[in-house]
Amino acid sequence: MRKLRNLYGTAALASIIATGAVADGHGWSLKAAAEPYAGTTVDVVFLLRPGYEAIEAMLPAFEEETGINVNIIKHPYENALGEQVRDFVAGGDLDIALIDLVWMGNFAENEWVLPLADVQAKFPDTVDPDLDIDDFFPLVLNAFGGWNDTIYGLPVDNYSGLMFYNRCILEEAGFDGPPETWMQLKDEYGPALTKDGKYAFALQSKRNETQSADSFARVLWPFGGSFLDENFRSNLNSEESQAGLQFRQDLMQYMPDGIVAYDHAETVNAFAQGDVAMITEWSAFYSSVVSPETSKVADCVEIAPEPTGPAGRKPALGGFSMAVASQADEAEQAAAYLFIQWATSKANAREYLERGGVPARQSVYQQDGLEEFKFVPALVESWQDGVPEFRPRFAEWPEITEIVQEWGTKMMLGEVTTEEGATEIGTRMEEVLEAAGYYSGDKPLAQ
Amino acid sequence: MRGQVPRKTILSFIGPAVLGLAIVGIAPLLYAIWTSLHFYNLTQLRRVEFIGLQNYWDVLTDDAFWQAMSRTFFLLGTALPLQIALGLGIALVLHQPGLTILKTLARLSLVLPMATTYAVVGLLGQVMFNQKFGVVNQLMGGADINWIGDPQNAFMMIIFWDVWQWTPFVALVLLAGLTMVPGEIEEAARLETKSKWTVLRYVQLPFLLPGLVAVLILRTADTLKLFDMVFTLTRGGPGASTEFISLLIQRVGFRAFDQGLASAQAIILLIVTIVLAQIYIRVFYKEV
Amino acid sequence: MTSTRSLWSQIALLAIIIAICVFPFYWMVTTSLKTQVVALEAPPVWLFEPTLNNYREALFEDGVLRTLMNSLIIAVCTTLLALILGVPAAFALARFEFRGKKDLWFWFITNRMVSPIVLALPFFLIARNLGLLDKHITLILIYLTFNLPIVIWIVTDQFRGIPYDLDEAARLEGASQFTIMRKICLPLAMPGVAVSAIFSFIFSWNELMFGLVLTRSEAKTAPAMAVSFMEGYNLPYGKIMATSTLIVIPVLIFALIASKQLVRGLTMGAVK
Repeated sequence: MRKLRNLYGTAALASIIATGAVADGHGWSLKAAAEPYAGTTVDVVFLLRPGYEAIEAMLPAFEEETGINVNIIKHPYENALGEQVRDFVAGGDLDIALIDLVWMGNFAENEWVLPLADVQAKFPDTVDPDLDIDDFFPLVLNAFGGWNDTIYGLPVDNYSGLMFYNRCILEEAGFDGPPETWMQLKDEYGPALTKDGKYAFALQSKRNETQSADSFARVLWPFGGSFLDENFRSNLNSEESQAGLQFRQDLMQYMPDGIVAYDHAETVNAFAQGDVAMITEWSAFYSSVVSPETSKVADCVEIAPEPTGPAGRKPALGGFSMAVASQADEAEQAAAYLFIQWATSKANAREYLERGGVPARQSVYQQDGLEEFKFVPALVESWQDGVPEFRPRFAEWPEITEIVQEWGTKMMLGEVTTEEGATEIGTRMEEVLEAAGYYSGDKPLAQ
Repeated sequence: MRGQVPRKTILSFIGPAVLGLAIVGIAPLLYAIWTSLHFYNLTQLRRVEFIGLQNYWDVLTDDAFWQAMSRTFFLLGTALPLQIALGLGIALVLHQPGLTILKTLARLSLVLPMATTYAVVGLLGQVMFNQKFGVVNQLMGGADINWIGDPQNAFMMIIFWDVWQWTPFVALVLLAGLTMVPGEIEEAARLETKSKWTVLRYVQLPFLLPGLVAVLILRTADTLKLFDMVFTLTRGGPGASTEFISLLIQRVGFRAFDQGLASAQAIILLIVTIVLAQIYIRVFYKEV
Repeated sequence: MTSTRSLWSQIALLAIIIAICVFPFYWMVTTSLKTQVVALEAPPVWLFEPTLNNYREALFEDGVLRTLMNSLIIAVCTTLLALILGVPAAFALARFEFRGKKDLWFWFITNRMVSPIVLALPFFLIARNLGLLDKHITLILIYLTFNLPIVIWIVTDQFRGIPYDLDEAARLEGASQFTIMRKICLPLAMPGVAVSAIFSFIFSWNELMFGLVLTRSEAKTAPAMAVSFMEGYNLPYGKIMATSTLIVIPVLIFALIASKQLVRGLTMGAVK
């Protein structure tokens, strides 16, 4: 009896420590499962972000265990979609697709990626009995990895928008905590914290996905606005959407000049240099603002959920999943699946977290000793109910985001009013949707 | 009469080059024309369909296209006069006698900007014009100018780098023209008038004209091609304030993936280029 | 002119010209020797302890070395190809009379003027259909669109400058046109050929857009690599400048070697 329990205990422990590689109760082991595919090379695109550096650092263990080589091609986020689209239309070398939640419709509808279930059915021996897919936050799994009720990818680099604030600056100005609402942020914190060349807030708004995802959408939802109404017509001229967009204009006086040129790097850097008291950024940037090597304010960083608006707390949701590419050959597909499964596994979640990644596994956040990761409570709260359609996830998003980026920036620069800009985006967005066949009934109003 | 050679000989000399250039230059163009007549989105390749001239109509009625075009010509209209004025000044300084070693040094340093990889110029711009840790603001006495994030400043920054990179070119072209002026004519003119302007206008200018024409043609073509430096410096931003025509086409074709529309834009740009080149060459390049 | 004042003002002007031309390079090199922390110092520092770390990381960890090799292979091959195709054509344009010569000439020049984006789109689609994406040969071929016009223009110009009686004499001795070109004209035209080769190399080495669109990893060129460092969450300025320095050094050396003929090359022989 005791012996048996010991055995189980050891096995469980081993599977945690040895990156899920050692045989568990079911007799499955990564090494054995990978044996037929040893020597296979898997090509995957990674971003220049902390979560990917974490996987890269862990990778030697996987390669040694399996004999599978993982060839990482690094790209900045802004190039990642273009590079992958070009690879997939060309029938290129990529064996894994790295999919931002807004790209999912595109990749799935083009059949560039295989549904998870198909891969598992094709290579049953590669499936880890400990996969425990229900352990992923359901919102995250469905939003990042799913399309039309089918799961394609497993969430790997997971974000929720969080408020990062500089406790020291706030305390000095007499605030004992972060703003609870967006209105407070603007009316109380804004004037008090914007002085002497320092600013209360920075909202990354560069004309790329940052403008549409981090800036435009972020002010839309908390005020009750949205991109589309239920008939897929533009909802940007609604009172609520306009309130949000106008709010952003008003808030700009408390942001650094040239905020329309701020990408994540500039925003995180301004915060890390102590020039900006608060930012709303992705959880993924946590490791870089608390590292003394890259941050002057490491000791002052605190994390809270994003502020609420009239319509509640609607934090930004974003993140990536990895899915097996249909263009890969059989061995590559199996090897790719093994890699994805390993990188997102329950057993590796803790190490991934400690190396700077943000896993989407519920179990890891229930473990002890996570106090140093200050973002965890806010993150877990955000993932209970986020807006999966924070940005519409349909296949036409790449075209629509370009429109939003152009006119959203023009609004901020004061070249057009929020109404004019919203009308322009609305008209153009509807043209794209019209051409795609949503209005003629050729395509269901998926969302 | 020279040059009466059999057709076969001519063909064997010129054929390979024509064929080579046709394969890489003409075949893609034909393909682009085909693409431009279709709805052709890289992410929706199943929906490729013939739509006639719809893409062209969309381009010609699109404000963004015309804005990018006029922005491009505005850049040419501001940068080129600066380059010619500064270039002429530099050429005249270098043309004066004396100080040989310093002038040779100056001439060598003029060579550097022209050869610099355009993409690197943009990267350098990012570093030097950064609002906080950029050296440009420091050299301006600790100014706090936001170069990259402000539409007007960003445009000025682009002009600056264009002028930095191409003024030396104009200067050296004009200097070459100045050295063609026969010494005795210049000397005689100088004895007759004290006005440097008169000498420039009536004696030197005729020798400068061919160079100026070449500058005009090449700078126009290069401005229509301008991509690398702006792509690495501002990516067309902030907003669309530095989105020149080649950047617009790149964005539509490779970021919105609408290759049909982008091809139509590209074809229209090509037509503009050819018409301009025709005008220039026919008008100025008679000796060819 | 001879007064000391004007002499000094001349010296000052020349010094300013040199400073403005050279300063960005100075700044590029010094930034490449800074650590990230020093590079982000505001206002920027001029004196600091230099490190070669950025070069080591860029070359050996991030694969810049390979992209430099790619750029080298591509630039050399495309230059050779442009010469092989271009020199005979230039000879024909300079020496033979035939119908449509002007139009042909014009067509060659126009290629130099065409924005690469015009060709990048269709070339991408064609390369995709032929499975030629991310291959050296693709860039080698497409770079002909600007190299061939340069070679043809400069070398034609050079051939024209060679007295015609030389080949006349050879022809009387029964030499073929090809022999005349190779044995008599080419040696005399060598300066022009060398200049056009240097130009072709510089332009190919500097090219970005085709490199971005048509390569991914195997054939990725150095400028495309430098751009891919941009927009990380923590821009590695030192490393970006180190890569930039590595890219720029070879072209600057070439440009200085050919400095006398640079103007001629850039104007495609229109200005001597």
